[in-house]
Amino acid sequence: MVKEIFFEVFPTLAENNFGWEKEQKDYDNWDSFAQLNLITFAEAKFSIEFSLEESIEIKSARELVERINSHLK
Amino acid sequence: MNLIDCLKNNAERNPTKIGFIDEERSLTFKEMYEEVQKFSENVSKSVLRSTQVVSLISENSTSFVIAYLGIINSGRVVHLTPTNISLTNLARQTSSTGSGLILCPKVTKKLKEWNSSHYNYSAVPFSELAELTRGEKKDLGKIRRQIVAYLIYTSGTTGEPKGVPVSHDMVEFTTKNIIDVLGYSETDVDVIPLPLYHSFGLGCLHTSIFAGSTVVLLKNADNLENILESVKKYNATSLAAVPATLTKFLKLDRKILDDCLQGLRLIITNSTSIPKNTVKGIKDILKGGNLATYYGLTEASRSTFMIFNEDSNLHESVGKPAPGVNIKIDDEHKGESEFGEILVKGKNVIKQYWNDKKADRSIEDEWLRTGDVGYLDDDGYLFLKGRNDEVINVGGEKIIPHDIEQVVRQIPGVEDSAAFGIPHEVFGQTIKLVVKKAANSDLDKLVILTHCMKNLEKFKIPSKIEFVDSIPKNEYGKVKRSMLK
Repeated sequence: MVKEIFFEVFPTLAENNFGWEKEQKDYDNWDSFAQLNLITFAEAKFSIEFSLEESIEIKSARELVERINSHLK
Repeated sequence: MNLIDCLKNNAERNPTKIGFIDEERSLTFKEMYEEVQKFSENVSKSVLRSTQVVSLISENSTSFVIAYLGIINSGRVVHLTPTNISLTNLARQTSSTGSGLILCPKVTKKLKEWNSSHYNYSAVPFSELAELTRGEKKDLGKIRRQIVAYLIYTSGTTGEPKGVPVSHDMVEFTTKNIIDVLGYSETDVDVIPLPLYHSFGLGCLHTSIFAGSTVVLLKNADNLENILESVKKYNATSLAAVPATLTKFLKLDRKILDDCLQGLRLIITNSTSIPKNTVKGIKDILKGGNLATYYGLTEASRSTFMIFNEDSNLHESVGKPAPGVNIKIDDEHKGESEFGEILVKGKNVIKQYWNDKKADRSIEDEWLRTGDVGYLDDDGYLFLKGRNDEVINVGGEKIIPHDIEQVVRQIPGVEDSAAFGIPHEVFGQTIKLVVKKAANSDLDKLVILTHCMKNLEKFKIPSKIEFVDSIPKNEYGKVKRSMLK
């Protein structure tokens, strides 16, 4: 489900370019607005709410999954 | 020629013609002129010579017209107030105007409360005006007509109320433009369900008086059935309605709409952009008739006009400047965005606000800063994008709520939506979207976000979405964003 969010927020992202460990700096278009969009999608999809600190710290798909899981426990 | 001269002229040329119809009675031009004379005499007998302003609180009726024109004919300024005004606001406005009398058709429960409070002047029903005497008799009497015809307090959708004094010259200039551009004549029958205490409805009344047409006054703009029945019953040729009413019309039975509206030569609407489907749907019903809109404020009434053509791709425009009116966009402060604040100059623009130096700062070299933002295209058509104070600034990107709302309304299951800025520690502001779902819709937030991602730049994607039962709007259908924040 998190992978789907990445493809929504980065519509030009190819399947073979997605990586769970791939970091923000490795994406061409993961800027602060994309970061906000990722957080917004994740919040809507899992009915959770991140703190500002959490929102800023997420730098990869893996970290997003971990943060979501911490809210769902 | 002012309103009273026009009425007199109508009474002399067409004394027996029915000029004014409401839900209870009708009056010929001669009867109306006589009633106005009588009313103005009673006003003059009832208030001090020094009283220059008289307040009027009334829903739409022939009595409203008599009182409105009667106060003007007594040489005074009419202070028009909404019927739903709060007592606090009424106290503030009457204090600001220096009004010496409040006139109303009947003393409602609210006005009884007013009369029993500490306020200095009472609300008096029209029927008791003749018996009313006050002050020293030597000081009573008709006074020389004021430059100002009426006074309306406006705050738009936000901000402090400002008194807008509209002169007889402004009324004449604006009304002649309406008649010339939209082709009104004495053969018209004009249905007005809009409140006359606002500029849109009042301008329509002025038009009927100047054109010598027949006006049908309705009290409730939300009673669609009554509006349609009245259009049919009186063989109306023109109808004034806000865009929201036209959109609601299209949800009714098509046969009824055809039956009632096909005879209209004109539907006039106003100032907010009209959904494309509404323009198409109404044009389809009107056949040979026109759908027109305008852009204006109480401070600068009817600054543009737009008559929609079927072939035109300009349904989002409010048209070109009215004859004798100039419009420009403030390029200096717009930065890199394509839009800026709209400025208006012309004989339809007020010279100053009523005793309000702070508000007067929005008028520079006769140019009125409207507080609205928009742009002019290469052909000179004006496009509105929203209010200056509604612009959302997300990390330096300026966003007009309308751009988001327009996209969101395309989603099946969305009945209405409104976007506005909310504080954010990093971005300064982010966008919150409230959505009213259509009945039985199971729409969820992800569908909205996905649609937004496909159709909007990433800085325009709402960071918060909330489903609501209703979206607060003013009488003209403009969203009251201040109530959402």
